[in-house]
This record gives sequence, structure tokens and C-alpha cells, in this order.
Amino acid sequence: MLDRPTERLARPYSGETYYERAPLKPAHWDWTVSSYIFLAGLGGAAQGLATLARFADARQFAGLVRNARHLGTAASALGAALLVLDLKTPGRWYNMLRIVRPTSPMSFGSYILTAFGGLSAFTSFSEMVGRRGLVGRMLARLAGIAQIGAGVTGAGASTYTASLLSATSSPFWAATPRHLGVMFGTSAVACAAAALSLGERWAGRHASGRRLDDIAFFATAAHLLASLSWTRRLKREGIPEAVTSSPSGRTLNTGEMLVAGAVPLAAYALNRVATSNRDPALSVIGSVAILAGGLMLRHGALGLGKETAEQPRTYFGRAQPAQSKRLRDRR
Amino acid sequence: MNATIDRQEALATAETRIEPGKRYGFFTDTTLCIGCKACEVACKEWNQLPAEDMALSGTSYDNTERLSATTWRHVRFVEQMADGSGERAAGDGSAVPRPGDGPHNAAPDRWLMMSDVCKHCSNAPCLEACPTGAIFKTEFDTVVVQQDICNGCGYCVPACPFGVVEIDQLDGKAHKCTLCYDRLKGGLEPACAKACPTDSIVFGELGALDRRANERVRELHARGVEDAYLYGTPGSPGATGGLERLNAFFLLLDRPEVYNLPAAPSRPASRILPALGAGLAAVAALACLAGSIFAERPRR
Repeated sequence: MLDRPTERLARPYSGETYYERAPLKPAHWDWTVSSYIFLAGLGGAAQGLATLARFADARQFAGLVRNARHLGTAASALGAALLVLDLKTPGRWYNMLRIVRPTSPMSFGSYILTAFGGLSAFTSFSEMVGRRGLVGRMLARLAGIAQIGAGVTGAGASTYTASLLSATSSPFWAATPRHLGVMFGTSAVACAAAALSLGERWAGRHASGRRLDDIAFFATAAHLLASLSWTRRLKREGIPEAVTSSPSGRTLNTGEMLVAGAVPLAAYALNRVATSNRDPALSVIGSVAILAGGLMLRHGALGLGKETAEQPRTYFGRAQPAQSKRLRDRR
Repeated sequence: MNATIDRQEALATAETRIEPGKRYGFFTDTTLCIGCKACEVACKEWNQLPAEDMALSGTSYDNTERLSATTWRHVRFVEQMADGSGERAAGDGSAVPRPGDGPHNAAPDRWLMMSDVCKHCSNAPCLEACPTGAIFKTEFDTVVVQQDICNGCGYCVPACPFGVVEIDQLDGKAHKCTLCYDRLKGGLEPACAKACPTDSIVFGELGALDRRANERVRELHARGVEDAYLYGTPGSPGATGGLERLNAFFLLLDRPEVYNLPAAPSRPASRILPALGAGLAAVAALACLAGSIFAERPRR
């Protein structure tokens, strides 16, 4: 090559910036988008759990399945409305379905959301009609098939949002795609189990409530483990601690470690040991904490991505050739 | 349809014949830039872009400060003083050339000027992110936002590894340099390149531009300017991480970060599979667990 990257690049990056100016532009997305990410995770995973519960015992979990279907429909409808609200030219929302683009999570995500919303709405409709009569029975049968589709697209809706954030240049989102996927996935399952558990406890169906609490417990444990690994990885990826201790970072950390982590784990465990699952109060505390923490996780992660886009050293430090990155790791 | 363009004014002004199907771009040679900002003005004039809020940045002669929805060329001014007085120019000062620091730091006072622009990446991240198809590759291999399709979702903005594209708050659409798509269609050289009085901005067909740029680097090296290098040609800094090449590329004298450019940007779409795969795997693992919890027989 004639254009040898020369001595100038052989000199390692040592914090140069252009008058401290932002090297990137942050996304304009606000609470509407982070709330959508939360809702897509909640509704999507709820329909996934409902699919599994139906396979296990359709009769015992009929109430759970009904709630999950309505939750999936409501979450996708509200989520879609939030997304349209976030557009700067909302009148053209339908252009989202103008092309299919596999390199754009926003594009294939629109189709996932459309499919998930449609299937969920159908399953909801069959719940409202009921099983009576020929039409009701046929609808219920068809809804059983649609339920499988809703479960699969629900899993997609609950996780593709991690790739939506990761497939950008904003340092915090781009730094750890795998961890972000696991964080969103585990949080979605925990949130869905928690929300469905609230419904079961409300209706007095403690047996299925206990199972949902168990699922929420394990999902939360997985979430907490992933979160510990994520923190370490972020440091290795050159996201300074000063960044993760910003207000958005504090929201994120409090959300995932305490609110959606330690509190529900303690509440569920205590409920199991001390009251043999009869006391809904502890279960409700755990479930509400998981939902609040899930929302905080999404808000914090969204904010950190926007903040780091405007920090030249965070971006430039990461955007180095592989060789010099290895050198930095060794130090 | 491969319609030829009849009027070829670019032949006279840029020695370039503009033909659909060929790849065009800019070679911006920062060693020739005198900071006159004629490119900024010509761009605003031709594209009828409004002025930004006028204010003094207080850091250098760069009061434009950034590329934006209504500023598609932006001249940067980097002041580097041998006595260290311009150290703010290089950030925290630790990397500022000082006399006697070493061979490459023995630089005299100097003023680096660079006219920044959309890079018209070969694998353009903004285009790959655009869910509506508003951003497309033209017949000249340039990247353009179609204003009648963009719905202002804003995904192209964080996708861009160079912080170029922006949503205009007034009209709610994404805007950036079009490499004067309309002028190219009429056989005209882009406005900034035509206005550039020193030919720091050269418009042309990519093959010819690459040859010219490599020759310029060789010439500078021979003259003792050994730090000169290209940013954005295949295999060089800027054209990393799956970006292949930048159709608008640069000749630089200092590290890219000094010019507010990343040394090794990467293609955001390469992170879709890791994120989605890991997320789905986590959900699948928890689903197996949930399935077994649902199927478990009641103990009492």
C-alpha cells in the first residue's frame, strides 16, 4: 500500500479530540422508545410463556393464557403507538413497511412487531368470543395455532430491540451486543412472568402464581449474573466507569442490580421459605420490583447510548485498529 | 436505462465525464486547504440551505462547529503550536507536539485545515439502517436521502460512524450531503469542489481520484512530509470494520482523531447477529426452564 498508515497511526491514540466536540450525533429517541422496548419485551415474552403453559396444561393455565394474550395485544398496540409518536414525520409511519431490509433491525423489527401484534390480536379476539358454539370452537382451535406464532414472534419482539441499539455507532450500545441481547432477553422473561404472576395472584390462582414466581426467580438470577458479567465487559471494552456512573448509568445499575435483581430474589425466596407461597404480598412486591427495574434498565440503557455518542474519547478509544486494542487490553 | 448526460460541464471544470453507473466521490487534500470556507458557502447557496445560528465558538476560526441537517460542508481548524500554547486544539494536551519530543513531534507551529463532508461510504451504515428505503445508492454510487420518503425515525443518525446525518427539527426529515445529485445529473461538478480555489476538494471518478491521491502522498513523502496518509481509501484508516471504502476520502497529516475522525470505524450491521443471537439463546434457555416448571406435577 502506498498509503501506509504511517508513523502517525503507529503512535497510539492518547486522548486527542477536536476541541472536545462530539464525534457522533446521538439518536433523538426519548422515553417513548425505551418504553416501547420494555413493552415489546413484556408482551412478547408473555405470549411465549403462554404458549409453553398451553402445551403443559391448557386447562389449568387457561386464565394465565387469557391474560398473556390480552397483554401481548395491548403491549403491541401501545408500543406501536409510542413508536409512531417518536417519528419526526409520524404521518408517514406506513413507510416502515415499504421495504424489507435485513441489515436494519428497525426494518425487520417492524415486521416482527406487525406479525406479533396481528397474531396476538387474533388470540385475544378468540378469548373474547369464547369457546361456545361452532364459531367459538373453531376460533379457539385457530387461536391455538396462532398462539405458537405469537410465542415465536414474541421471542423476537422481546430481543430484537437489543440488536436495534447495538447496530449503531453509539459507543455504549455498540460495545457489548451479546450482553445487551442477554440483558434484554432475561429481563423480558422476568417481566412477563412477574406481570402474569400479578394476574394470577389477583385472581387467587396461587398454584400457577407460584410457578410464575419460580420462572421469574430463575430469570432474575440469570439477569443478575449476566449483569455482573456485563459490567466487567463494559470496562474491558473501554467504556469508562465515569460514564456508567452518570444519571442514566445510575438508573441502569439501580434498575438491574437492586430493583429488578436483589429485591425480587429476596421477596420470592422469602415467600417460599417463610410463608410456603401462601402470602401474595411478598410475591406482589417481587413482581412489581421486576417490572419497575425492567423499565429502568431500558431507560438507562437508552440514555447511556445517547450520552456516549457525544463523548469523543469514549468513541475514539474504542474505534481503534484491532492491534492497538489488543495492546491496550494487555496493559 | 443508461441515459448519457449531454451537457458535460464537469469535463471543463473537473476533467471528469459524468456517466451513470460509474463511481464518483471527493478527494479532499487537507494540505491544500486554506480555510476559506468557500465550499461551505457554495454548498449552502446551491442547496438553498439556511444559515445556522451565528455565534463565535471561542476555540478557533471554526464557528460552523459541526456538520448538520443544514450544513453539509464544514471546515475544521486545528491550531498546533510548537510552544504548546495551542494545546487545547489537541484535546487534553498530552499529545500535543512539543519541540524535541521526538522525530514526529518536532513540528513547527502549524494550522491543519480540513473540509469535512459526508463520506458516502461504500457500505453506508445510514443506508443499511434506513427502514423506509429513503436512503439509497444513486447511479453515481453516492448516498442520498429521498425527502419524499423519509419519515424521521432517526435510525440513520446514531448509525453513522462519522456523525454526519441529522434530522432537521423543522421539517422532521434526515438530511445530509447529496454529493450534488442534481448537479451530477446535469453534468455539473458538485458545488463545493467547483468553488474550492486551491483544489483541496477534488471531484472525480474513484479510480482516477485514488491514483491522484496516491501520487500526492508519494510526492509529499518525497518532499519530506512523511506523515501524510490517506483516510478512507481501501485498506487505510477510516475504511475499516466492513466499510470497504469511503467515496469521499481525505489526505491527513495527523492522527484522525485530531480531525474528529475515528481511526477504525466499523459497520454497525455486523452487530445485529451477536445481539439477536445471544438474546434469543437466553430466551430459549429460559423457555426450556419455564416449560419444565409449567409441566411439573403439583406436589400436594
